Formats: sequence, structure tokens, C-alpha cells
Amino acid sequence: MNRDWTGYALRRAGQAVVVVLLAYVFTFVVISVLPGDPVTATLRNPENGFSEEEIARVIAYYGLDQPVHVQLWEALSRFLVGDLGVSLRSDRPVADMLTEVLGSTLALAGTALVVAVVLAFGIAFGAQYLPRPFGPALRAFPSLFLSVPNFLIGLLLIQLFSFQLGLFRAIDADSPTATFFAALTLGIPVSAQIAEVLIANLDHESRQEYAAVARSRGLGRPALLLRHLLKPSSLPVVTVLALTVGELLGGAVITEAVFGRTGVGSLVERSVAMQDLPVLQAVVALAAVVFVVVNLVADLVYPLLDPRVSLQAGPERGVAAR
Amino acid sequence: MTVSTVSGSATAPRGPDRAPARRVPAGVVLSFLVIALVVAWSVAPGLFTAQDPVDGVPADLFLPPSAEHLFGTDHLGRDLFSRVVHGTSSSVTSALVAVAIGVLSGGLIGLIAGFLGGLVDVLLARFVDVLLAIPSFLLAVVVVSALGFQTINAAIATGISAVAVFARVMRSEVLKTRSAVYVEAALLLGGSRTHVLLRHVLPNASRSVLQLAVLHFGLSILVIAGLAFLGYGDPPPASDWGLLVASGKDHPMAPWLVWAPALVTIVTVLSVNRISRWLRTTD
Repeated sequence: MNRDWTGYALRRAGQAVVVVLLAYVFTFVVISVLPGDPVTATLRNPENGFSEEEIARVIAYYGLDQPVHVQLWEALSRFLVGDLGVSLRSDRPVADMLTEVLGSTLALAGTALVVAVVLAFGIAFGAQYLPRPFGPALRAFPSLFLSVPNFLIGLLLIQLFSFQLGLFRAIDADSPTATFFAALTLGIPVSAQIAEVLIANLDHESRQEYAAVARSRGLGRPALLLRHLLKPSSLPVVTVLALTVGELLGGAVITEAVFGRTGVGSLVERSVAMQDLPVLQAVVALAAVVFVVVNLVADLVYPLLDPRVSLQAGPERGVAAR
Repeated sequence: MTVSTVSGSATAPRGPDRAPARRVPAGVVLSFLVIALVVAWSVAPGLFTAQDPVDGVPADLFLPPSAEHLFGTDHLGRDLFSRVVHGTSSSVTSALVAVAIGVLSGGLIGLIAGFLGGLVDVLLARFVDVLLAIPSFLLAVVVVSALGFQTINAAIATGISAVAVFARVMRSEVLKTRSAVYVEAALLLGGSRTHVLLRHVLPNASRSVLQLAVLHFGLSILVIAGLAFLGYGDPPPASDWGLLVASGKDHPMAPWLVWAPALVTIVTVLSVNRISRWLRTTD
């Protein structure tokens, strides 16, 4: 078993590295193949006040006078040694700009993940065990959550809890309360996906024979849930959680805009407005690294958590609608 | 793992007396009515409102919803209902464009990968992994910033970010059908690969892809609204739903400017999702 696992882990880690590198290449291709030459357009824009010397330096750094495949090769070899390039706007290293804002977004996404899990388990248990009409009504929540634009949830929360109840001040974006409501905004759509899976799994498991046996032995519903149904139903959530990490990073763009937070999302928004492509490319690379690593860990841990999963076929990943 | 292995314990209805079980639920009928109305709004907005969506009446600023102005008026005295109805076409069409891009390119990738197998499959699977690794909203933002800020580009970007999901589903459907006995029989009987592809594989895969396409139509409306909210779509006086919400939030004393277009969006997406779920259960 252990040797199998090590081999499997090595194979998967190799694949992960390839995917990250290809994601970097893909972003490069999207940005350079699509029409327009934003880099030189930005540099030549007199408003930005680049001197001829600086322009020449940036052009030489990115090899913009070289053919595309040479540029790609250079960019990739810089990426491999951890150099993310230099911002076209502020002339600062992209890596510095990223580390500056990373903490805020990690706090937001981490809280959102916790909020999503708590909310999802609450909805799923409520749907199973609350009496009519509340239980069945809760089953409609995931579908409702997935139909509401993410920015609208944010606007509603701000309107309700900041303007009406005065629980937090919208200006003070990094206070714990403001962070919590921003995380709620980001976490609600994610919680819907987890809750859907949990509800389906709890339904499925409670129809199994072992559940019927436990019930016939006189086990009450709460004990049945805690002792028998919970583990097999919530293990697949690990996979779903890993798949939703990308959504948290993508959704941060909108959430940070709505709540006026400074983070990776607002950095993306600023860079898009100013066509600062090296920054965009670095953020995409970072997001791909996070997504691939988290999913790798989830896939590697899964067989250890769930002995029913055999490594022969490799653990299948749940196809969650993105 | 199969996330929803709802292998219904109920046995299939047998005999004519059980036929009414196939009736369409009321919620689904309602959803179809909502979608029909939305389609009608986008095809012929003039039939539903006589008021001008672009030029306002300066005397009628910030009127709350009333019989004359169903959704009230905005900061330029424009009738919001008229703006929502006239913005429908752009919101719906761009979501359709996004789904079309996703279905066609994703479907093609999945079809080729599943049908040819071997090295092609491995290479395409790696490509799909790469697309999946980039958060879809982030990918859409990058593509739209490279293409330029227009609603049609936002639609293209949304479509590109959905390619991976369609490719995955199509590939697994093709693999499932390819190993079916009747496909083997068709090949043994001398059927050509094109014949098998067109006659057996595509019709069988189309069901799952259709259900996913409907689901993604709703999702695309949300993503495009998000892009419009950030200002990556057509600028005003265009009246895409997301854009209406974005400009409405600047006037907190007139909350209907946010809630009216928001409710229209939510009800539309809810209906689409209901139809998609119904398609899945009637399989």
C-alpha cells in the first residue's frame, strides 16, 4: 500500500508541475496572441512618463524586440527561478506587489472557506433533520444561493449590516467584522456546492442497509448521523472543497471590489484597468499553483482517509459544476 | 466518486395507470413561462414598454416604483423597467454566445479526445487540466482585458472559461458510449467510424451536454453580469442587467435601482437552473 501510494504521489506531483508550467504558457499565449500590443502602448503613453532609457530597459527585459517564441522561453525561464517580472506601471517587481496584498486575500479566502463549510453542514443537517416545512425548504437554499450574483450578496450585506444596523463601517475594510461579511459574500456560493453534495450523500447513505440495521437496533436519528452517516457523507466534501479553491480566488476580484478591500482581487482589477499584463500573468500563475497544490494534496490525502478508494484506478474526482 | 448517485429505489412505473407520473411539475412550467417572457423581452422590447430607455424626463428623477413606472426611474429620469427590458437582449444574447463557445469548442475537444483515445487523449486531457487550474472568473477577466472592454468580448471570455467543463463531460459521455455493446455491434457489422460517431455517440452524449448547457446558460448570465458590474462590458447607456445594478448602487436613496434588475436576474437564473435540474431527473 505504502509503495503504491508513494509512486502515485510522485506521478501526480509531476503532473502538477507540468500543469502549472502550461498554465503560465497558456496565459502568455492568450495575452500575446490576442490582438493589440498593450505593453508598448502602455510604455509609449506620454501620461505614464517613462523616459526613453526606461522604455529601452523594459523592452530589453521582456525581450519585446524578439520573436514570440524567444519571449516565451525567456519568460518561462524567469518564472522557473521565481522571477515574476516587473510591473509596467509602477516599475516595481511584481513579486513585491503580490506579497504586499497576499495576506489580506488569504484572510478573506480562509474565512470564506470556514464560513462555507459551516453554512453547508448547517444547511445539509437542517434539510435532513428539521421538521416540515423547514427541512424541505432548506433543500431549496443551495439552488437559490447559486442563482444570486455574488456582487449582489455583498451589496445586500453592506446595505443591511453596515448602513442599517451599523455593525461595521464600510470604509474600515480590514476590520474583523467587515472581513467576516466579505467572507460571507464569497463563501455563500461555495457553500451551496458543498451543501448540494452533502445533502445528496446523506440521502444516499441513509438508504443503505447498514443504516437500516442501525435503525432497527434502536439507534436514534442524531446518533445514527454522528456514528454512521457523517463520515462516508462528508469525505467527498474534501474533493469538492479543493475544486472550489479556484472559485474563492476568482470571486475575490468581485468581493474585494464591492467591499473596497485591498487584496489580490483589487490588484487584478487595477491591473486590468491599466493593462498591466505582467501582474495579471503572475496572479494567474499564482492562482494555478494554489489550485493545483490544493487539489494534489486533496487527491493524495483522500486514499488515506477513505480506505474504500483503491489506487489502481486513482481516486476519481467529483465533477462539480464550476 | 460519483457525487450524486441517486439510484432511485422506486421501480420504474409500469402499465398505463402510472403514466401521469411523467407530468411536468408546476415549478418547471412556471420556469418555462419566465424564460418565454425573457426571450420575448429580448426579441421585441418595444411590445412591453413604450418608454424611452436612453433619454429620460428631467422632471421625473428618482421616482419610486408605481403603476406608470413599474421599476421606478433613475438619476436621469429614465424608466427603469424600460431599461431592463431593453437590456435583456444584450444580457441573453451574450450568455447564449458564451454557452455556444463552450459547447462547440469544449464538445469538440471532448469528442476528439474520447473518440480517438491514445496520445491525443492524453495531450487534450492535459490541456483541459490547465484550463481547469485557472479560476474561471480570473480567466474570463484576463481574456476580456486582452480583447477589450465590450459585452461581446465578455461573452467570448465567459465561453472560453467554460470550455474545460464541457470537454470533460463530453469526453466521459463518449467513452461511456464507445464501450457499449451496440457500438461494438455497429462496428462489427461494418459501420464506419463516422457512422458510429454520428449515429450512436453524438445522440447519446447530447443529453448530458444539453443539461450542462442549460445550467451554464444561467451561470453565464451571472458571470457576464459580474464582468459588467466591474465595468468590463459595454459602457452606459447600454443597460445590461449587471451594469444596471452597478450604476444603481451609486444611489443608495433609490434602492429599487439595484433591486429591480437584480430580481430580474435572480428569477431568470433560478428558472434556468430549475429547468436544468428537471432535465437531469427526467433522464
